[in-house]
Amino acid sequence: MAERKRFDGPIEATLRRGVTGGLVVAVLLTVFLSFWSWHGARRAEQDAYWVSHTYEVMATIQGTSRDVLEAETSARAFALSGQEPLLVHYQTARGNIYQDEDALRHLTADNLSQQRRLDVLEPRVRTALEFAESIIAKRRKLGGYPGGSDALEIERLVVAVRATTQDMHAEETRLLSQRSQRAAAGQRSTRIIAVAGLFLEIGLWSLAFLVVIREIAVSACARSQLNNLNTELEQRVKERTASLAPRAEELASSQVALETQTLMLQSVLDGMGEGLIAADREGHFLIWNDSAKKLMGRDASDLPTEQWTPHYKVFLPDGITPCPPDRLPLVRALHGESVQVELMVEHPDRANRVCLEVTARPLKDNQGNLRGGVAVLRDITERKNAEREIQALNQTLETRVIERTAELKVANKELEAFTYSVSHDLRAPIRHISGFAKILVEKFRSSLPAEAHEHLQLIVQAAHRMGQMVDEMLKLARLGRQGLTVKVTGLSSLVEDVITLLAPETEGRQVEWKIGQLPFVECDPILMPQVFQNLISNALKYSRPRSPAVIEIGQTEKEGEKVIFVKDNGVGFDMKYSDKLFGVFQRLHMAEEFEGNGIGLATVERIIKKHGGRVWVEAELDRGATFYFTLGGGEHSVPEKAAAAAGGSL
Amino acid sequence: MVEDSQNDIDLALYALREEGLANSIFVVRDGKEALDFLFCRGPFAERSFNHPPKLVLLDLKLPKVDGLQVLKQLKNDSRTKTIPVVIMTSSNEERDLVEGYNLGVNSYIQKPVDFDQFRSTVKTLGLYWLVVNQSPMTDSAPTMRERPIKLQH
Repeated sequence: MAERKRFDGPIEATLRRGVTGGLVVAVLLTVFLSFWSWHGARRAEQDAYWVSHTYEVMATIQGTSRDVLEAETSARAFALSGQEPLLVHYQTARGNIYQDEDALRHLTADNLSQQRRLDVLEPRVRTALEFAESIIAKRRKLGGYPGGSDALEIERLVVAVRATTQDMHAEETRLLSQRSQRAAAGQRSTRIIAVAGLFLEIGLWSLAFLVVIREIAVSACARSQLNNLNTELEQRVKERTASLAPRAEELASSQVALETQTLMLQSVLDGMGEGLIAADREGHFLIWNDSAKKLMGRDASDLPTEQWTPHYKVFLPDGITPCPPDRLPLVRALHGESVQVELMVEHPDRANRVCLEVTARPLKDNQGNLRGGVAVLRDITERKNAEREIQALNQTLETRVIERTAELKVANKELEAFTYSVSHDLRAPIRHISGFAKILVEKFRSSLPAEAHEHLQLIVQAAHRMGQMVDEMLKLARLGRQGLTVKVTGLSSLVEDVITLLAPETEGRQVEWKIGQLPFVECDPILMPQVFQNLISNALKYSRPRSPAVIEIGQTEKEGEKVIFVKDNGVGFDMKYSDKLFGVFQRLHMAEEFEGNGIGLATVERIIKKHGGRVWVEAELDRGATFYFTLGGGEHSVPEKAAAAAGGSL
Repeated sequence: MVEDSQNDIDLALYALREEGLANSIFVVRDGKEALDFLFCRGPFAERSFNHPPKLVLLDLKLPKVDGLQVLKQLKNDSRTKTIPVVIMTSSNEERDLVEGYNLGVNSYIQKPVDFDQFRSTVKTLGLYWLVVNQSPMTDSAPTMRERPIKLQH
């Protein structure tokens, strides 16, 4: 209705009012006509009833009058003749009279004047009937005609009755004519009204027809106008569409780009190994990628943050305490915190709890307003297990180190005690042997045979060597306990000093020295000369059969590593014994051939090892030997001049 | 001379005898005896602090009371602290050396294994401390001579 009303213009309103009024008039008219027709028919029916009623009353009045005459006549006839059958008519008439009287009383109940006339008639009829009765009774009594004036009396009584009945008849006749007139008038008016109504209805229908015809024309006109408007509108829409087309295309292409980007983002999210979860400020999940699903064993569900812990089964790193909801990293991120924590999660498909490292950060828009939070989940279960294993191993190792250290301490103590004892107790008897042998030689020189003299000399020599060995051994032992004092040292000057020191050994020999470029290194300036002293002394010793002996000292590169070498052209040795070379008291040559105590190279190795380096030898029987060593500390590339200056000061 | 080894005593005296110094040597065999001698008590009660030895040759590894202990008591007592002490021992352990000098020893000598070296060392020592060096008690030398050299066997 509201829709319709909106389109009602002033013309339509008027029209609507006209149509409504017309309809009401037509309906009222039809109702009126129908009522009037019904009423007319009913009145005609009543009129007809009253006409026939009047006729019935008139017939009854006349019947009464006739019966009274019949009764009087019959009674007089009997009186005259005395014949009893004549009384049958009398009795019949008398019965009819009573019936007619009742009928009249009933029929004229609506008419007061007729009732009053009936009131007059009834006594007169009664009187007439009583008279007739009396005549009959007299005849019977006398047994013959009594005579008299009865005929006159009967005449008078019948006339009286007839006068009254004639009045009544006249009245009824008047009523009849009155009623007939009224019926005719009613019928006339009904006819007139019916005809008038018919015309009126025809008029109304015609009016309606005209209105409808006019409306059709108006609506046709309106429709054509509407069509025109529609066409125009369509044209304008087309024009507008055409003008919007480029923008629409732009929009479509940017939407395609957006979709591509979204797709790419989705595949990146699903492809990444870390689980990624993002939620808005209310805790509704925006992102929950495949890895997150795999790590948590559950999909995102729209629960309030307080129910996350029981639903996702999140525990603190101890694996027992359920994580309080306000300590969940994403919840903290939603409150603006940036956190990195470790958590345990009970995975529905995994026997052991998954250990996760969770990094959570708040999400903020360009204005810095908090929009939500994002969390990255990393599975660190294996790393944790490895860490635990390492910890256990470390524990074992530490225990073992402590045990071993204690053992070593004891061993060291023992060794120290041993060394101390050796330095005191072993040296004393050697000294005594040497001393007393000497005294023997000195005191009893003349009385001793030459052979005994020689033997005593050998005892002295042996004691001397033994003394040296003990001293060397003690030195070696002390090396182990000594700390390393490292200084940047120029090896060139150091080697020069050692060669000067060894000059006595080269006396009377032809020795060719080839000293190459040597570096500055970090080493102990007291221990390092001992290395060169031992190596160069060895080179001199074993090249003694050569003339000239060629000794080369320098630096070279082996397998990408800078090494220092001491090379001789001496007797060399078979490489299959090389592993014995650096052992204490291990010798490859007889003492008669080359003197020595088998401690020198052991000392060299110990010093080099103390520096974190390595020492090894390459040799061939009769073709000399080359000793190589490295030093653990870094080499210092000092310019030649500075090196020379430093070397000079050493 | 404080020395427990008879061999060492013999060798030292042999070397000193060659220089004519052997007679001025008094030998004790352990740390306790050395302290008794130096502090004039026990068997040496008749000795006097006024006649201290010119030199004490002290071994370190000694029975009863060890050499460093003897040195300590000697240097801690005002009556004896001026007596020159030379440690002569087999050990060249650094801790002994350092400890000895800390306690105020006048010299520290490791006994050479070689007899010739030993002999020359002992001779040099004897000549230096008994003949060359001036000690605070100038009248001590004659006193020493009054007493016969007592070699203990």
